[in-house]
Amino acid sequence: MDMTNSNRVALAAVVLAAVSLLALPASNIAPFYISFLYLIFFWISMATSWTILSGFAGYWSFGHAAFFGSGVYTSATLAAKLGVPFLLTIPFAAGVAALLGTGIGWLVFRMQRLRGELFALMTISITFVVAAVISNTPIDGGSGVYLISVPVPEIFGSQSGTIYLLGLFFAAVTLGITYGIYRSRMGMGLFAIHDDEDVAETKGVPTFRYKLGAIALSSGIAGAVGGVYSIYVSYVTVGETFEVTVIMYPVVMSIFGGSRHWLGPALGATIVTIALYGFPSGPQAALGRGGIALGLILVVLLLPNGVMPSLIGCWRRLAPKQLVPVQVLPQPLVPEPRVAAGAVAMVADTPVLECRDVGKSFGGVQALRGVTLDVRQGEILGLVGPNGSGKSTLINVITGHFKLSQGSVLFDGAPIDGLPAHSVARLGIARSYQIPRPFDRLTVLDNVAMAASFGDGRNENEARRMAAHWLGYTGLAKKAFDYPVTLNLHERKFLELARALAARPRLLMLDEVLSGLNNTEVDAALELIRDIRTRGTTIIFVEHLMRAVVALSDRVAVLNGGTLIALGSPEETMRDPEVVSVYLGGAHAS
Amino acid sequence: MGGSAMPHLSLLEQALLTGVLTGGLYGLLALGLSLSWGLLRLVNLGHFAMALLGAYLTWWLGTSYNVAPWWAGLLVVFVFFFYGVGLHWVFMRFRVTEMASMLITFAFAVIVESTIQTIWTADFRRYETAWGSQSWVVGSLYVPKLNTIAFVVAGALAAATWAWLRYTYAGRALRACAEDPPIATAFGINHRGLSFLLSGLCAAFAGVAGVFIALIATLAPSEIWSWIGVVFAVVIIGGLGNPLGALAGGVLIGVCEAMTMAIVNPSWAPLVSFSVLIALLLFRPRWI
Amino acid sequence: MTGRNVWLRAGIAAVVGFTMSAIAPAQAQQPTGKPIRIGQTLSLTGGFAQTGLAHRIASEIFVERLNAKGGLLGRPVEYVVLDDQSKPDISRTLYERLITADNVDLIIGPYGTANILAAMGVAQRYHKVFIENTLGQPQLATYEWHFSATIGGPDATSTLPVKVLDAYASTGNPPKKVLIVASKFPSANDMAKGMERALKARGTEELGMLEYEGGTRDFNSIAARVKDADPDLMFMASLGVEGSQLLEALNRIGYKPKRHFYLYPSGVMAADPLADNALSYSAFEDVEPYISTPEGAAFAKEYDARAAKAGLPYPFADSQAGNEYAGWEILIAGVKATNSLDDKKIAEWLDKNEVENIEGKRDFSGRSHTTATDMQQLKQVQKGRWVTIWPLDKRTPGAQLVAP
Repeated sequence: MDMTNSNRVALAAVVLAAVSLLALPASNIAPFYISFLYLIFFWISMATSWTILSGFAGYWSFGHAAFFGSGVYTSATLAAKLGVPFLLTIPFAAGVAALLGTGIGWLVFRMQRLRGELFALMTISITFVVAAVISNTPIDGGSGVYLISVPVPEIFGSQSGTIYLLGLFFAAVTLGITYGIYRSRMGMGLFAIHDDEDVAETKGVPTFRYKLGAIALSSGIAGAVGGVYSIYVSYVTVGETFEVTVIMYPVVMSIFGGSRHWLGPALGATIVTIALYGFPSGPQAALGRGGIALGLILVVLLLPNGVMPSLIGCWRRLAPKQLVPVQVLPQPLVPEPRVAAGAVAMVADTPVLECRDVGKSFGGVQALRGVTLDVRQGEILGLVGPNGSGKSTLINVITGHFKLSQGSVLFDGAPIDGLPAHSVARLGIARSYQIPRPFDRLTVLDNVAMAASFGDGRNENEARRMAAHWLGYTGLAKKAFDYPVTLNLHERKFLELARALAARPRLLMLDEVLSGLNNTEVDAALELIRDIRTRGTTIIFVEHLMRAVVALSDRVAVLNGGTLIALGSPEETMRDPEVVSVYLGGAHAS
Repeated sequence: MGGSAMPHLSLLEQALLTGVLTGGLYGLLALGLSLSWGLLRLVNLGHFAMALLGAYLTWWLGTSYNVAPWWAGLLVVFVFFFYGVGLHWVFMRFRVTEMASMLITFAFAVIVESTIQTIWTADFRRYETAWGSQSWVVGSLYVPKLNTIAFVVAGALAAATWAWLRYTYAGRALRACAEDPPIATAFGINHRGLSFLLSGLCAAFAGVAGVFIALIATLAPSEIWSWIGVVFAVVIIGGLGNPLGALAGGVLIGVCEAMTMAIVNPSWAPLVSFSVLIALLLFRPRWI
Repeated sequence: MTGRNVWLRAGIAAVVGFTMSAIAPAQAQQPTGKPIRIGQTLSLTGGFAQTGLAHRIASEIFVERLNAKGGLLGRPVEYVVLDDQSKPDISRTLYERLITADNVDLIIGPYGTANILAAMGVAQRYHKVFIENTLGQPQLATYEWHFSATIGGPDATSTLPVKVLDAYASTGNPPKKVLIVASKFPSANDMAKGMERALKARGTEELGMLEYEGGTRDFNSIAARVKDADPDLMFMASLGVEGSQLLEALNRIGYKPKRHFYLYPSGVMAADPLADNALSYSAFEDVEPYISTPEGAAFAKEYDARAAKAGLPYPFADSQAGNEYAGWEILIAGVKATNSLDDKKIAEWLDKNEVENIEGKRDFSGRSHTTATDMQQLKQVQKGRWVTIWPLDKRTPGAQLVAP
């Protein structure tokens, strides 16, 4: 791998810093500074681990004190009451906390309603319950647990040195894990979950697994550092362990540093810890605290996204990195379709997708009533019907977003109903949304890249190259590094399309891509859709605009009131008396 | 209680009443927080600090200048309204996001705590009034006057705010803005002016809560933090931006706590009330 | 050190409360030389800041009086106080700072059980004499150079409840039904369990033990249960204003406890008319017989003046302030007797000798260097002030135990 000089310098600096941090306790430095550094490491681990779930995936947790506290009490109980060697208790502390976290996640993450502030409520409630359980059972019982007689191995000749090294170790591990996630598909998936979880799932992100992984790591780290912390304070009580500041500080530090960057929370933790603990004042302590808080407010007002993003912004401005213009990217650009080349532009009789007696009801409302329909290899199937006729529901059922109430859906002859949406996406079924739902905090390029990565299983570099290609294909190349908010409706529609195409689907469902476009734009879009089909992709085309449906579709399916009332060639279908009556009103009813 | 028989019925009734009334205080504190979170997308941790500052001001005006609590309360509410408007100006001016608002108001709460401690010391303060601990006696029940008034005020404010949001143009506009700001703006709604008004109202509600805290509770600067957990829970149970929900949520938690305290060990109160909450979230999520 | 340097030093140290002998009596010799630095953390902010303030005032008075009387070993004493924000982890870190970075000569323990235990580990690692004055569970203090300035003896959780029951029994009408109300705060909770043991030993009926979490805001339901149980004696192992809050709640439902005890009440409780006849333990108060010694009287007078100036609601010296002062007296007695700042020598001397301080004459022969026996008194609220009523020889002149 090539390495520029500046990268080498940076690597050398990191190695040097790591070695000096490791060797620090052996030096002559006053142990207080060692302990103070430990506190910084402790908060770095707490804030960073909070970010894995809450900053990246947007699941705001006020339950970090519960995970931390369960670690504290696991270590305290094992070491002080059962005589387990202290270092051995740490994995247990991590394990118990991770188990608690994963258990909560397993219960909560499958409920779509428990997002946002309800998740916050859930976690704050759990914190109270865990605290009350520990307080009212022999785990603590109200007397606190005293660990002074617990022996701690003395690395570098002092207990402070050992605790420091443990703190350093866990901070490094936490940062390593977080960097790994940040740079990986999982990071991209978590960011997508943050912006729009349903879309993320439909684009192939295994949201449940990712969230469960995130909460397991997040809680496990909090538990591990809680275990170390128990020996640091040497006397643990419920009141102190579950204090409101333990709940608040990781949140404050993460936001302050920037909770969407792997290093942001660490930076925030360092600054806030030094500010809050570093200048212990004497008689005027209250005023000192007030002054520090005022400073915090000023920094937040001036750097609203956190310190880290602002630093990166500064760095970019000082040393502008050449952003690779999309236009000059290497252009192998016609991706080989996932289907056999012979199928191109040819409608085969073999069905790709079969809906058999598909029904879906919401409470008492029947949205789909026994729809049976097959979609043939390589065709464009127009799906029409008045508002509320069940078109969107059918798409949501096929993608796995809604579970079926009756019937079955087969893709390539194998049933896909019951599969989670991300698995359906990975089989090669993609959709676009009628109202575009881009991931607002990802760039246009990343929006498409994540679809290529999750829908088509590409690695990151490849995914970005493919994304660049599809942006060029849909005419969005110039906007690659912009954020979706800057796009107009037409561009957002094409971003939807690019995102759907990036998954290289075998079946593409387009939900009213043409609505809101002017005539020229419609013609361009129709051209594009035809072209997509000639590359071997089967298309279901939901549209109100009859001119487009007739011009484009091989066959047309008409839904009304959740029932399929006609299916056939466009001309045939449009002459069907029932269809005519649906579209032109009750006067024509036979 | 160590193996004793079932608690007396009058004890349960008294506990139920206590729970409802305490819930009123929770609801009163939750009201402003719920509105600013739900309708302005600002999570105002400083709300508790302002409530406690209002309590201190009420106590201070009362004990040092003999100002009756209601006059002091009026003054506090008036001044706080403008503080709320000013706060919102800062938030608008710097385009503060939901997350950053939490950070800023957290720091603001620390500043208020420090200020209170610097001016009035950290020692406990109690506002003794002749009628502060009086009760009406109804059968075997004692109905504490102050807590009842607090509940009635909480109910009245919640109902009035609810009606305002539901039946007036301004209220409906505010709700529309919270749901979809661009569309609301397209309909010509003056979101800025309305949001200033709402922010001022939220701060004024903190002042009202402060007056009752001064009369009912014991004051210490660090009390700011003791309310956060439970009131946060109340706000979310009630539904963000829902004034009646905030009150109902407060009563739910208050009653759970009080009944636990009356029947089993009082230290189980958080265990029971928050377990109930978790169960509700897991099994009847549509209720919220 | 030249006079100029002393003033420079004083200017720099103004923040940490170094005070030159501003109230120096004429007869005392001016201390000279490099100041002896004695460090402490206190809860100046956070949940225990109320009590932290009382301790700070007591410490400052002690150091000023010490300097006015010629300092220590002929040198001035500099008091270094840092704010531990009422948090044990910060207290622990700051004691390490005092010892290893600020290089103070001696330390004094912080306020509050959790902070004391966290700080004691540090003292142990750096072999510093550790004198604390508020540890509620002295049996946890296993450090051999720990010395308790409290006078509750080695097992106050067993002896204090007995003392309370004995005091009431002396009226000829011992309590027959006792209800315990206990905070989940560790030292308070242990005391409540001690009362349970004492009741069992005596065969007195225990109506139950109502435990509540620290930070409980609402005592109305607990009040309803107290009223329902209607005990002869309500023994409340409470902290700060919790006792006053329960009394207030009881008053609202028209109930007045017959006999009532509170463990660590805030001083202001005495000013509450509802707290009339409330009992608590005591080691020092601003009343006879504590102020019969010149030192006790001078301290109480100075404390009252400063507390009033600071605007404290109960501006009278009480056990919190007295204990802090007594702790300083113990440390300084050790230094003076050994004529040294060597922690080992001081510890060895204290281990074998008695010290006279404002709380009386005491030794450290009890377990964990507590007093051999429980020397605490019981105090009662009478006419808005705390007075001592038990044991009889320590009774405030003219006071009687009121036991309805």
